[in-house]
Amino acid sequence: MKTLALAAAAAGSEPEGRDATLEAARSGDRAAFDLLMRRHERLVLGTAYRLAGNLDDAQDASQEVFLRLYRNLARLDAGNLAAWLYRVTVNVCHDARRRRANMVPVEDAPELAATGDPQQSASEAERRALLLRSLRTLSEKERAALVLRDLEGLSTTEVASVLGSSVATVRSQISKARLKMRDFVDRSSRRRL
Amino acid sequence: MSCAIWEERVALLAGGDLDAAEAAGVERHLNRCAPCRALAVELRAGLDCLRAAHAEPIEAERYAAVRGRVLAELAEPPRRRAVWPWAVPLVAVAAAVLVVVMTMKPAASPVPKMPHAVAVAPAVEPKRGPDRSLTVAAPQRTEAPPAGTHITARTEPDRTHASAGRGPAPPEVADAPVRTVQLATADPNVVIYWLFEEKGE
Repeated sequence: MKTLALAAAAAGSEPEGRDATLEAARSGDRAAFDLLMRRHERLVLGTAYRLAGNLDDAQDASQEVFLRLYRNLARLDAGNLAAWLYRVTVNVCHDARRRRANMVPVEDAPELAATGDPQQSASEAERRALLLRSLRTLSEKERAALVLRDLEGLSTTEVASVLGSSVATVRSQISKARLKMRDFVDRSSRRRL
Repeated sequence: MSCAIWEERVALLAGGDLDAAEAAGVERHLNRCAPCRALAVELRAGLDCLRAAHAEPIEAERYAAVRGRVLAELAEPPRRRAVWPWAVPLVAVAAAVLVVVMTMKPAASPVPKMPHAVAVAPAVEPKRGPDRSLTVAAPQRTEAPPAGTHITARTEPDRTHASAGRGPAPPEVADAPVRTVQLATADPNVVIYWLFEEKGE
């Protein structure tokens, strides 16, 4: 199980709160800030991708997250940086989604490499595409809870901390989200038969 | 039998979100409920599939593009600083214009609509004497008369500047008869006094 402390450690920072790269970035070292972005870009862009539904919007969101990171370097500790980044990524994606509320959503069609049995690969690819599309059927909060818990692997407590909710609320959100996704895939599969 | 009450717990079990005691209770239910067992299998398979999709790497160019855009934006000079040099004189000019307008307002303030009809009261011949002065009757707050109908003219040559402080001192009256015309307007709070000398015909 990945935890935020582990995520911070994996990203190369020290959970105690001291991080030479972070300190250098704080003092205006752009190269250090670039390194900081490289450490956390998978966290930010990967999460934003699943929340936004497409890579272009995810890139825009990531850009905004890193700009906010730069503006808030002075008051961030290495120990809580990952949680802060998750929180800001969720907020930025929610804001962007609300701004696009009236726009037609972009189709989520991940390109997957075909390997092995072509028929089976096609079936798996279809199933993946369906599951990813089913994320769109979730409410903002359900989606964020599921992405953080099931895709980013945070614990329920960590998800609650990032989203500012209670553990009970997060458990309810993720269980409903899983059931909704399963129903969506089930209905879509029946329609195609 | 409806298993709706179990569904959420099965969904939590599928993601490993139940503690040991809760999980054991749900497992016992699954052992005797085929639909819930099937649901648990589907949910686990769906989560595995979703995680596999999420684990696929994003192209390196995407990350590089984000970093490049962020660093480029940080390299740009702050936009606000470009705005303020224009905003400061603009605000100063606006303030100056406002002061001028406020200063001119009393002189330029428009008088409410002129009365519709104006009549001049008959001239009163003032008594001849060295300290004759004119006193204008103070306006009285009464119900507004019909527009343009209430007109009075009075001269009180025996009193000396009784109305001082209510307005400018009345003009000295020489030989020419002075007339005061009180003009009522539609606004009961606004009364216009018109003082003039009648010099011949």
